[in-house]
Amino acid sequence: MNRSIIISSVFHAGLIFITAMSLPFLAKKPLEIPPIVSVELIQIAEKTNIPFAPKAKKIIEKVKEKEKKLVSEQAPPKKVKKTKTKTVVSVDKNEKIDSKTPEAIPLPEKTVKKIETKKESKQNPDKLDEEVKQVSEFEKKEFVDLDNIAKLIDKAKEDTAELIKKNNDITQDQDKSIVTSGLTLSEEDALKAQIFGCWSIPLGLPYNEDLLVRIKLMLEPDGSVSKTEILDHARMNKPGQSFYKVLAESALRAVKLCQPLRVPTTGYERWKELQLNFDAREMLEG
Amino acid sequence: MILSKIYKNTLLILAACLVLTACATKKEVATDIQGQMQSDVYTGTDTVEYLADGVPDRVFFATNETILTTASRETLRAQAAWLRKNSSINVVLEGHADERGTREYNLALGERRANSAKDYLMTYGISSDRISVLSYGKERPVDAGSNPLAWSKNRRSVTVKAN
Amino acid sequence: MKKKLILLFLISLLPLKAFALIEVDITRGNLNPLPLAVSPLSIDDKSKKSFEKILKKENIGSEISTIVENNLRTSGLFNPLSKEAFLQAPDIANLKPRFEDWNLIKAQALITGKVTYIDEKLRVEFRLWDILAAKEMMALAFTTVPSNWRRVGHIISDKVYERLTGEKGYFDTRIIYVAEEGPKTQRKKRLAIMDQDGANNKFLTLGNELVLTPRFNPTSQMVTYLSYFKNLPRVYLLDIETGTQEVVGDFPGMTFAPRFSPDGKKIIMSFAKDGKSDIYTMNLENRLVEKITNHPSIDTSPSYSPNGRFIAFNSDRSGYQQIYVMKSDGSNVKRISFGNGIYGTPVWSPRGDLIAFTKLHKGKFYIGVMRTDGKGERLLTENYYQEAPSWSPNGRVLIFYRETKTNAKGEGFSAKLWSIDLTGYNERLVETQTDASDPSWSSLLSN
Repeated sequence: MNRSIIISSVFHAGLIFITAMSLPFLAKKPLEIPPIVSVELIQIAEKTNIPFAPKAKKIIEKVKEKEKKLVSEQAPPKKVKKTKTKTVVSVDKNEKIDSKTPEAIPLPEKTVKKIETKKESKQNPDKLDEEVKQVSEFEKKEFVDLDNIAKLIDKAKEDTAELIKKNNDITQDQDKSIVTSGLTLSEEDALKAQIFGCWSIPLGLPYNEDLLVRIKLMLEPDGSVSKTEILDHARMNKPGQSFYKVLAESALRAVKLCQPLRVPTTGYERWKELQLNFDAREMLEG
Repeated sequence: MILSKIYKNTLLILAACLVLTACATKKEVATDIQGQMQSDVYTGTDTVEYLADGVPDRVFFATNETILTTASRETLRAQAAWLRKNSSINVVLEGHADERGTREYNLALGERRANSAKDYLMTYGISSDRISVLSYGKERPVDAGSNPLAWSKNRRSVTVKAN
Repeated sequence: MKKKLILLFLISLLPLKAFALIEVDITRGNLNPLPLAVSPLSIDDKSKKSFEKILKKENIGSEISTIVENNLRTSGLFNPLSKEAFLQAPDIANLKPRFEDWNLIKAQALITGKVTYIDEKLRVEFRLWDILAAKEMMALAFTTVPSNWRRVGHIISDKVYERLTGEKGYFDTRIIYVAEEGPKTQRKKRLAIMDQDGANNKFLTLGNELVLTPRFNPTSQMVTYLSYFKNLPRVYLLDIETGTQEVVGDFPGMTFAPRFSPDGKKIIMSFAKDGKSDIYTMNLENRLVEKITNHPSIDTSPSYSPNGRFIAFNSDRSGYQQIYVMKSDGSNVKRISFGNGIYGTPVWSPRGDLIAFTKLHKGKFYIGVMRTDGKGERLLTENYYQEAPSWSPNGRVLIFYRETKTNAKGEGFSAKLWSIDLTGYNERLVETQTDASDPSWSSLLSN
């Protein structure tokens, strides 16, 4: 009995010793992992030069701070002035609508459909009452043709749109030769950052559609917007594209909300016309 | 240096041995609690009722399975013998599933479980006219708990007298 | 001469340079719900008194606007602002909003309206205003019996939703579900129906027998469901208006997992016999029964594509529950779910591009969506137990049911309806009087 215990323990000790010897990894120092080199990936627009980037960031941050102040201090009074002039217009419109109303409103009132309650099974003690059928009783009348709203939004004429299209084609061809006439990265980013803050992306949009709206702005030297124009406005009234109108309207609201835009202090000729490409895809997918 | 390395390793291995032993004892405790299950199939008798002396009314299944275990076959043979003796009795086989599945699939699964019991009874000479099949899916558990033991009790086919 | 030509050429270039339009890409914005103001619908004193008598509601105008407000808020897409901040009285706002006032409280849209009592009818007009553009976006009027006032609120919500998102709404809808009571081992289940917001709840059966999986037909007037009437689980058809019901088909065994075809003319379901379940259709007009699948496996939970040409279903022919798609005649069966875990309850989206499903993986249940070819799987929500998604009519929201433990020890349980946006955001409990399961969303009632 004792002997077997001794033999057993000797063998066990031997086993443990052998295992201990053959465990090499514990003895070795851990592999030296080279220090992690952080690489910053910066997206750069075609037009800008890389050296601007680090500076620009700081500038943008400053600008953002400024914006916050500006929005809270300056924006409201300015807007009040502007909207006032617009209210006058809308009053006219309202009156028109109201005067129309009596004609449009008298709605033919159908009599309630009588519902004959058929055999009721024992299982259904409380049948649903008439509500279900009264769907048909609703009378709807639109005061304003909804299609017209799209037209109201941008009053631009089609021929000017075409002109701009032509011009766009030309600019695209000439893009490379006129690099210097674009905004600098800091200028562009300041503007972007401002509009990012103003744009409420409509949340119900289909996530898998083309969600690009291009808007052309005519600007005053102080950055206020004198004219807006939706470039693909033919798409506004296409069937199955109702989300496009919604998106375009949200872009226009963003521009309105952001006024005056943070434009460069110099070179008005460069940016008195500006095209904003609103693209919601990135946000809605991510 | 080397010595201290060996010493360290030895300690480590001893520690590992201790951990393993601890595991073993724990496992014994665990099987004690779950003694009513064998590889996912309920083997206890808590919920079992008897059609007659020595004739249990139900058989149990593994998760997502409809195959009869050895114990289940024994139970069904006893039921078949009892049915042969009492030829006036018809039965309904009620198939059930546990709650860990979608409702509609479980209805089909319960039907399949009851049918595998029915098929076995038929191979022991019980006419299909005397057996009807009804699935409750997961709608009528015997144990309302949400744990593996409760689920194993609920995965069942119960033979119920129809007349 | 040459010099002149060159000069001319240079001049011709000049205007081009002037036209060089600077483009700025705006790829980010805020995804906060759109702030809007729902002004209480204005009402004159006479109408107010009339409605108070008929409907026992003190101010029906503000009741309706509250419905609109709640609907828009639960959608997760809009942020109705607090009424306390409103500066303009409802009646004046409806005539001519002072846009600068509404702008001040950061509203981007405004809903105003007027309620009147004319010839024993309820007449509601409402307008939607774009605050920043300072113009009217929409104006509508309805006339109906006063008792329909809640539906007026839902229809207004749908119109606003559609105008501001470009998609149809889903508020003027109902949900049919199974109301549950009692202990798990002897659960009492009744068919129940309610408005999408939980109002007007009604029980359709007494609870004497087990009922499961009710589903609306496309016009939302009929429901098909599984009943254990006389202990024979069969698919039934129920007319909600008349309360009449009938067994669907004459099958010698259990029929279950029913759904309507998109044209409402057929019911597709499973029929289980001898341990195998296959998919059948029954034409409700000529009562013809057609067998669609023929396989020794379990084939169940069929769901038509909106165009009626395909059927998604659940089968364990590979060994475990997976989702398959086939043509509506049963040919061309293809497995589409290949992720980890098992998949069940496929439901084709009303838009046709997605299939919602329940997935069980490592002891967790997920509600998710995948494209109809099985790619692009997205899991929207994870929980201990949940299943049975049903689409809102616009394909934007899913409603499903979830069982949770009532205490931390894991004892007791409760089953409730939940809804979640297709994006995986805005998960919400749908309030029901009792416990609830197996929801089915109706189509829009007003269209």
